[in-house]
Amino acid sequence: MKQFIFFIIFSFTLVVQASESPSAKQLLQNMATAVHQRNFDASFVVMKEKGMEPYRWLHGLHNGQELELLSLLNGAGLEIVRVDNKVTYFEPQSAPYSIQTNSITGPIPEVLFKDISVLNKGYDFVLGGKGRIAGRPAQLVRLESKDSNKYNYWLWIDTDSSLLLKAAYVNQAGELLEQLQLTHISVSPEPGEQLLELLSKSFPEARKLENNTPPTLNNSNWQIEWLPDGFTLLKADRHKLDLNNELADYYLFSDGLVEFSVFVQRPLAGKRPSGALSSGATTVYVHNSGAFDVSVVGKIPPQTAKSIAESVKRAL
Amino acid sequence: MTQANKAENKQTSTSEIFDGEFALTDATLSQLDDEKFSRYAMIGDAMRAKAGGDITIDITASITAALADEPCHDVKGIEEAKTNPKNSNVVSISNWKKPFSQIAIAASVALVAVLGVNTMQQSPVVSDDLPVLQSIPVAGGVAPVSFSSEGTALQSAQQGVRALQQQRIGALVLEHQRQSRMAQALHEVKSEQEQESKDPN
Repeated sequence: MKQFIFFIIFSFTLVVQASESPSAKQLLQNMATAVHQRNFDASFVVMKEKGMEPYRWLHGLHNGQELELLSLLNGAGLEIVRVDNKVTYFEPQSAPYSIQTNSITGPIPEVLFKDISVLNKGYDFVLGGKGRIAGRPAQLVRLESKDSNKYNYWLWIDTDSSLLLKAAYVNQAGELLEQLQLTHISVSPEPGEQLLELLSKSFPEARKLENNTPPTLNNSNWQIEWLPDGFTLLKADRHKLDLNNELADYYLFSDGLVEFSVFVQRPLAGKRPSGALSSGATTVYVHNSGAFDVSVVGKIPPQTAKSIAESVKRAL
Repeated sequence: MTQANKAENKQTSTSEIFDGEFALTDATLSQLDDEKFSRYAMIGDAMRAKAGGDITIDITASITAALADEPCHDVKGIEEAKTNPKNSNVVSISNWKKPFSQIAIAASVALVAVLGVNTMQQSPVVSDDLPVLQSIPVAGGVAPVSFSSEGTALQSAQQGVRALQQQRIGALVLEHQRQSRMAQALHEVKSEQEQESKDPN
């Protein structure tokens, strides 16, 4: 009998807690839905320690078809167009190409527009304080890494429209390394004309992803002995890099939120000590191990990149 | 004013009233021509360059009347003609992008340059046990020549290595960016496969 009363009280408190305010996860799910369903026209900037990049971001839903346009406004530019499940990248250096996927890879981690439950393993979802961002009331949601090998990701979500207003990569010391801030957003009942124009254009055929066998490290030339928890291998191959035509053994890892790449290449001539470079949250770690060079690139802390690079050994 | 002018009497008096040469009495006002008066006023304003948006000529009635008789234009045809050049798909987009390609290569170099400079700025942030490429050829490129006490031959050799390594880092960053675009799709494929391999058991 006592147990039964306890159970009732317990479940009652759960209900009360749930009704008080939406949980961090619920807010993120609402955001993912809003980003796919609303018609909006937004401008945002990505700020690193030095320099910033301005973007324009349009999204619309027209006759059940999603239309999205993201463009980098400075320099040579970069234009990414999405019509439903086809994302096309227009880059100045190369011919446009399409990928079969339902979200654009831009400055905002894609997983936030999708099913965030894949992040449960590596991150805690924490509700933060309220504030005012871009003239709107905002609620902070923090994705806190469960270990110190990754950065945290903080998001400020519009409490009215559930749209993203601000986001930042934050290191373990609580410093904001790379921030994304909306400067303007307007939500309209109909998609913008610029988006409807996309319907009359044709885009390159989407690349088929080879999904025959999952990549493994077993047969590869190199053994990567240490990896941060939660990261899995997505791709392993050998190919030439676009810019300088150098051959590299290539590995791509992801934990669902961020990715990093490992390149193993022939060493460059001359004495070059190993070291890290960083721009915003992106780290480039170059490790010179004598017979070969290992480079790690990704939005991970320099210390993590260093450990990965140094753990690469020739497979025997 | 003479007898001979009597026929133009009304016009003259309107003009005179307007110029203030005629005392305003009931008698003179009855001679005033309303339409002419407002026209004179407008001419005066225009000559004094007061015009701007002040002049209002109500022609809506006449336009409406004129429009009623106009044949309907083929609106569809006009719109098609307008959109046709844009309509031409991918090729036109890449053509439109072409002028930028020169800047693009410069931009990728700039990215590396920014990376290099950032390292210098950032060095205090990174923990002590982690070597930072500050004094190193990679970050190099930015280091003033006078900093080095080495011989010039060694210097130019190092600069060659620097250029190569800078180029390589630029290529790595770009490659990572490109490969990341595939990551989410690959991740989904992989988790689907894992699901499938679990399900039969």
